[in-house]
Amino acid sequence: MLRKWLRVFAIVTLAASPQAVRAQTAPPPAAAADPAAPFFDDSVVHDLFLTINQRDWSSLKEHFLANTYYPANLTWNGQIVRSVGIRSRGTGSRSGVKPGLRVDIDYYTTDQKFLGLKSFILRNNTQDPSGMRERLSMELFRRMGLVAEREAHARLYINNVYTGLFTIVESIDKTFLQKNFNENDGHLYEYAFDNANPVPFNFGYPGSDPALYVPVPFKPETLESDPQGEVIERLFWTANIAGDAVWRTSIEEFLDMKKFIRHLAIENFLAEEDGLTGDYGPNNFYFYRFLNTNKFMFLPWDKSNTFWESPSYSILRNIEDGTESKRNRLVLRALKDTDLRELWLNTILECADSIMQPAVAATATTPAVATPWLQYEVARIANQITAATYADPSREVFTNADFDASVAFLTTWAQTRSDIVRAQVAADRAARGVK
Amino acid sequence: MLIALVLAAQIGAGEAPVNAATAAFEQAPAKPKKAKEEKDAAAKPAKKPKKKKVAKENETAPDEPVDPAADAPAKGFRFSWKQHPSVRYADVFRLDVEGKMQEDGHSSYGPVKGLDTWEFHRNRFGIKGYVTKHIEYEIEHEFTEHELTEKDVEAGITPKSRWKDVNVNLTYVKNAQVQIGKFKVPFGLDQLTGVTHNDFVYRSLGANYLAPGRDVGVQVHGSFWKHGLEYATGVFQHDGDNARSKKIEGGDTTFAGRINGNPLRHLSSSSIGGIDVGTAFAISALSDDSFRPNGLRGRTVMTQDDFFQSVYVKGHRRRWEADMDWTSGRASARAEYTWVSDDRLAQGIGGEDLPDVRGRSWYVSGTWVLTGEDKKRPLKAAEPFAQGGIGAIEVAIRYERMWFDSTPLGQDVPRRNPRAETIFESGDHALTLGVNWTLNRFVKLQVNGIREHVDDPQRNPVPNGAAFWSRVIRLQFVL
Repeated sequence: MLRKWLRVFAIVTLAASPQAVRAQTAPPPAAAADPAAPFFDDSVVHDLFLTINQRDWSSLKEHFLANTYYPANLTWNGQIVRSVGIRSRGTGSRSGVKPGLRVDIDYYTTDQKFLGLKSFILRNNTQDPSGMRERLSMELFRRMGLVAEREAHARLYINNVYTGLFTIVESIDKTFLQKNFNENDGHLYEYAFDNANPVPFNFGYPGSDPALYVPVPFKPETLESDPQGEVIERLFWTANIAGDAVWRTSIEEFLDMKKFIRHLAIENFLAEEDGLTGDYGPNNFYFYRFLNTNKFMFLPWDKSNTFWESPSYSILRNIEDGTESKRNRLVLRALKDTDLRELWLNTILECADSIMQPAVAATATTPAVATPWLQYEVARIANQITAATYADPSREVFTNADFDASVAFLTTWAQTRSDIVRAQVAADRAARGVK
Repeated sequence: MLIALVLAAQIGAGEAPVNAATAAFEQAPAKPKKAKEEKDAAAKPAKKPKKKKVAKENETAPDEPVDPAADAPAKGFRFSWKQHPSVRYADVFRLDVEGKMQEDGHSSYGPVKGLDTWEFHRNRFGIKGYVTKHIEYEIEHEFTEHELTEKDVEAGITPKSRWKDVNVNLTYVKNAQVQIGKFKVPFGLDQLTGVTHNDFVYRSLGANYLAPGRDVGVQVHGSFWKHGLEYATGVFQHDGDNARSKKIEGGDTTFAGRINGNPLRHLSSSSIGGIDVGTAFAISALSDDSFRPNGLRGRTVMTQDDFFQSVYVKGHRRRWEADMDWTSGRASARAEYTWVSDDRLAQGIGGEDLPDVRGRSWYVSGTWVLTGEDKKRPLKAAEPFAQGGIGAIEVAIRYERMWFDSTPLGQDVPRRNPRAETIFESGDHALTLGVNWTLNRFVKLQVNGIREHVDDPQRNPVPNGAAFWSRVIRLQFVL
């Protein structure tokens, strides 16, 4: 009963909040109701069943580093989808005990869809003892009015045996683009971080050859036969080489800088250790170039390394400090611009305010929930997934105590991060002589 | 290769050897037709015959099988280069050095992954000969295939041997010779035809993907009634190179047998006397030890796009083929039907048995020698290029189909996944038009145009399920 009321409160609150209004108006509205909405309903823990030949499941776990697809039947909420393709996925999170999975509905049957989806991800959260960092992060992106994939937790059953708690993650693909941008014929790239390269691409200007950009590190996900790396090359030429006098106007041909700065600020607020200003160089995003334009947009991906280290994680990490060769050149140049830097700081402050707002506003029939939003979300998700986490038979590293400690850490983080960040913003302004 | 062409033309222009002879190990040797031709000529009325172009029989091509008995005995060591560079000692030892080189140029519907415009397709060198009267040997190595990297091995890629024919043949009993080592499993007319003797640049789809190819084993083979009936039967470690790929392990222990003959040879006055018919079978054990599917696959002729991907199999693989080979004067025709069926025990998504997966293929082909020589494999030019002639030119046509499905029909609708109860049928139709120009006994130029149509639009490499053309030119040099 409590869960039902909370759900009502959350819906009403989100609908009434200014951020929600912005979220609804930022992307073009979808033409029709989204059939996948119940699948990403994050008010429940879903039950997802995969039927797969037992040898295939063993093989998938044994060869978890390979991208080999295996056929399976998928069942959710009484709906059965036959002949889907599943494979092991991930980079650092790959596991032979609890493999992260990519579920391709149309791998064997072109045009087969499930609730309008062509694919989705089952994230194993093997690097996150709380199992909720990414979900919380995407919630904040959406709350701040940016497009981000939807997520919900699910108990995964392989051949009717509970295999573990996973996060259902919406794929960034043509379905996602159509839903959020009302178009999907532009160029979509997945940023493929090159682990083998000791000097990662840092958004500098490696040269004029388009092959320096596609298919690595920008892996085409659409229009593969015509990846147009030359436009990406122009973006990074402009970002690095264009003169200061024309830089702002020139870069705007390729990036909506306000949206880019907003994306960056959210990551910095979230203490993202492996994102645009990550410790290893820029990482974890998709890149979409809108149809018939040169305008790109960053889309957040894999935020399991957010809430890193402590609530005092510096917003300036890898901007004012860190390994020189791994600092994001686009970010460094953008933040030299006084207006963009102020926009960045203000957006960080907006994040700080947003997570501290009451979780649920009062309505005519229901009382308000005064608990700050992020702290409330941590508690709500923890309440959802604790039992399933404790029962998860395939956890490799983390124990129940680790989960409890991580939830406690996130609670503290939610309570203290805003004040810490406000102080960091003030310090930065003071250092630059800005009132 | 151009230098090789000119050099070969000069070599070919030299004085022809009178007593060329070598050991013959080809699986399907061309049969002497001289006696038959003489008999035919005698039977004809006194009408003045049109002068026929006849190749100089003593100019044996390097890849031409000849009767070992024709080898002229001699004393002591000697070196000769009649058919191949050869070292001999009396009649108890012989070592021939052989080479086969093929340079291909191709184009198709667009850039094809893994298919360069120019490719050094084959670069094989080997030795063969005999030690004493009853022990023949052969070793052949392919130099174009590269070794696997560590990354390939980690990815589970199956190494492909660079050793081709490596075997000894014991001829103590002429009608029951014993061959041991690596050689072709006796199955399939087109597959057993030597690589330099093919009427087309590429073998038929069935020969490439359904017939086994080479493997390690032992076989007993021989012939009766002056090659009127030939047989071969043997046991092999696996079921051949063609069943394996980088990602497919292939079948295990294989038992195979083939019989072919010329049942109408006594009707030599008629053109039907040149018909040779054959049939073969093979049965192999199939395991599902590999984590990848272990079934056969179907690929397009030149571009090698998968139109049927390997499915999970376990149990036994059964093969059967029947073939016909007809040669008369300047013309020849061939036809072959191949059938393969694999068990799929416990291969369902739920571990249940599935209906057998089945692959079938057929082709019909024909050739016509424009320059008047009798059709042979290899074709021999009566007037070689640079010897006052233009060589031998023939045209060739082949129509073929290969397709896969499952039988009997399952309860589920047809699907494309490798554990589908009912397999979605997928096949390829191919029409090949070709011209073969034999410049001399060393050099051949082949040009083929191949029109293909893949049944399943989702597996067709070109959009909208359309047919597509591929073009290939091959320059072949044999030593």
